[in-house]
Amino acid sequence: MNAIQALPTQSRRYHARHRRYRKYLQQGLAYLLLTAGLSFTLLPFLMMIFSSFKTNTEALRVPPTFWPQHFTLENYLKILNDPKLPLSRFYLNSTLVAVFNVCSTLFTSSLVGYLFAKFEFPGKRLLFGWFLTTMMIPMQITMIPSYLILAKLGLINSLAGLVIFSAVDAFGIFMMRQFCETLPTELLDAARIDGTSEWQIYWRIVLPQLGAPLATLGILGFMANWNAYLWPMIVLQKIEVRTLPVILTWFNSTHTGQPAVVMAATVLIVMPILIVFMFFQRWIVQGFTMTGFK
Amino acid sequence: MTSLAIRKKNVPSRPRGGLAVAKLRFVTGVTVPLLLYESLAIFVLGWAFLLMFYDYSPGRLGGPILGLGGSNPFVGVQNFVEMLTGRSVRAVLFRTSLRNTLIFAFAVLPLNLLITLPLAWLLESISRYKTLYRTIYFMPVLTSSVGVALIWMSMYDPQAGWLNAILRLLGARPVAWLSDPRAGLAGVSVAMWAVILAYLWQDYGYNMVIFIAALQGVPQELKEMAMIDGATSWRIFTRIVIPLIRPTLLFVCVMTMLSSFQVFDIIQVMTNGGPNNQTQVLLLDIYKNAFRYQSMGWAAAESFVLFLIVMIVTVVQMRVLRTSWEY
Repeated sequence: MNAIQALPTQSRRYHARHRRYRKYLQQGLAYLLLTAGLSFTLLPFLMMIFSSFKTNTEALRVPPTFWPQHFTLENYLKILNDPKLPLSRFYLNSTLVAVFNVCSTLFTSSLVGYLFAKFEFPGKRLLFGWFLTTMMIPMQITMIPSYLILAKLGLINSLAGLVIFSAVDAFGIFMMRQFCETLPTELLDAARIDGTSEWQIYWRIVLPQLGAPLATLGILGFMANWNAYLWPMIVLQKIEVRTLPVILTWFNSTHTGQPAVVMAATVLIVMPILIVFMFFQRWIVQGFTMTGFK
Repeated sequence: MTSLAIRKKNVPSRPRGGLAVAKLRFVTGVTVPLLLYESLAIFVLGWAFLLMFYDYSPGRLGGPILGLGGSNPFVGVQNFVEMLTGRSVRAVLFRTSLRNTLIFAFAVLPLNLLITLPLAWLLESISRYKTLYRTIYFMPVLTSSVGVALIWMSMYDPQAGWLNAILRLLGARPVAWLSDPRAGLAGVSVAMWAVILAYLWQDYGYNMVIFIAALQGVPQELKEMAMIDGATSWRIFTRIVIPLIRPTLLFVCVMTMLSSFQVFDIIQVMTNGGPNNQTQVLLLDIYKNAFRYQSMGWAAAESFVLFLIVMIVTVVQMRVLRTSWEY
């Protein structure tokens, strides 16, 4: 009698314990695999940072050292004191291009997105369809004629050349239209009845409501501009006007056999954006998932 | 109260003809500049389209309209015929580039999914440090691809690089990862695998984050119910999770394909197409033809081919993966 009653309890206990063990095991395995992936992601960054503090002879040593044996700042000093490499100027170039492009696309995207969301006019569907089509066309199709136009206008080697073709962003318009559609039309109509002009409605009522998507679009646009390589390389052929990624390849090609210095330059160009990311990571990651835009 | 005040102040400035006219003025005020700008885009596209049919080089004077004609003669579809059947150096190189691009894209997509989907699933299942893991996995995505290329070049260095250090430790012979044209693995050159690895390293954090967001949308109750019914994690993953995140899977496949067909930065910096053109991909070939050899007509024709391939692959993927979306 007793034995018969005890059996199910025992088995239940056994199962509960078994399930708990299995859960621990699964969690442990998950952490193990994730940490392996994490190390693979992190190690190249660490090697870059450690190499930048090595002397050049140590950076060339076989087999390579992990920690710098003679910790030195000479690579950084060499870069920062190089008269042929005015880094602050390249930072300024990159910043100017990125900020200008971001501001202009934010303005046009919100304005045109609002127009497509809240106004009816003939040809609207056609125009919007055209925007979606241009979104599909990759940059390599337009890059050759765009270059020829810049050459005709004498804008090769000028930062303006990086700005002209980026004033309107079809993707941004698409995204802003989605958000503007959620704005209550009653609110806009109420403002109209109160006599607010259409431009004021856009500026005072619509724009403040778009804070979050504008921030997302702005951050993503900034990252994309900051890291852009192909188009800046085509347009900016003189050294003084170049942006950071283009300068980095040029620096690499002029410093062959000096890996420590090249790594220090890479650190100087790669790290600022990663530090910014550390602070805003939540926003940035959300932005990427929300928009699916790279 | 305040609205009354605004109304009083603004009534005189309201445009004559009422609200409809004001709206119309706003619409024209925005669309006219927009149309002007878009006509620039159409002009650029039209020019790109015309260039494909010419033997155009910006160094020659050419005809009166856009420099087309004259010393930049019209050649019709000859560029495309040459691409398909030509024996010239550039035609052979185009076909090599096309092959390399396909190898690259079709290697990157499955490898990427094989890394990102399980890792995202694991990351969703752990209870702590999620943000920390996600943040670090995402770091390479934001790193400039030139930086990524330089970092990996130092890892691949034949003498002082870490990969060869590991090989030596295992007693194997070191490999010139980026410059040995004879080394290969699974019929693909080692240099190609090397750039694929660097590209994957830069890219997987992005798809992981997308997958994590999708996995968070899978209702917890569904998984728990299946677990109570005795389903294993593997079955839950393949039978419940995968079908539910199918739209995301489609999106990720299309985006990964699109960007890997247009790979440029990493390869240009790491190998510049070498050794023996084993990593020459289409966009790199287009870039070299257009801006180094100045044969822009040919390059325009090539970019049209790349565009067509990208479109076809996208449409096919949509068809294959779209089948049943209603969940």
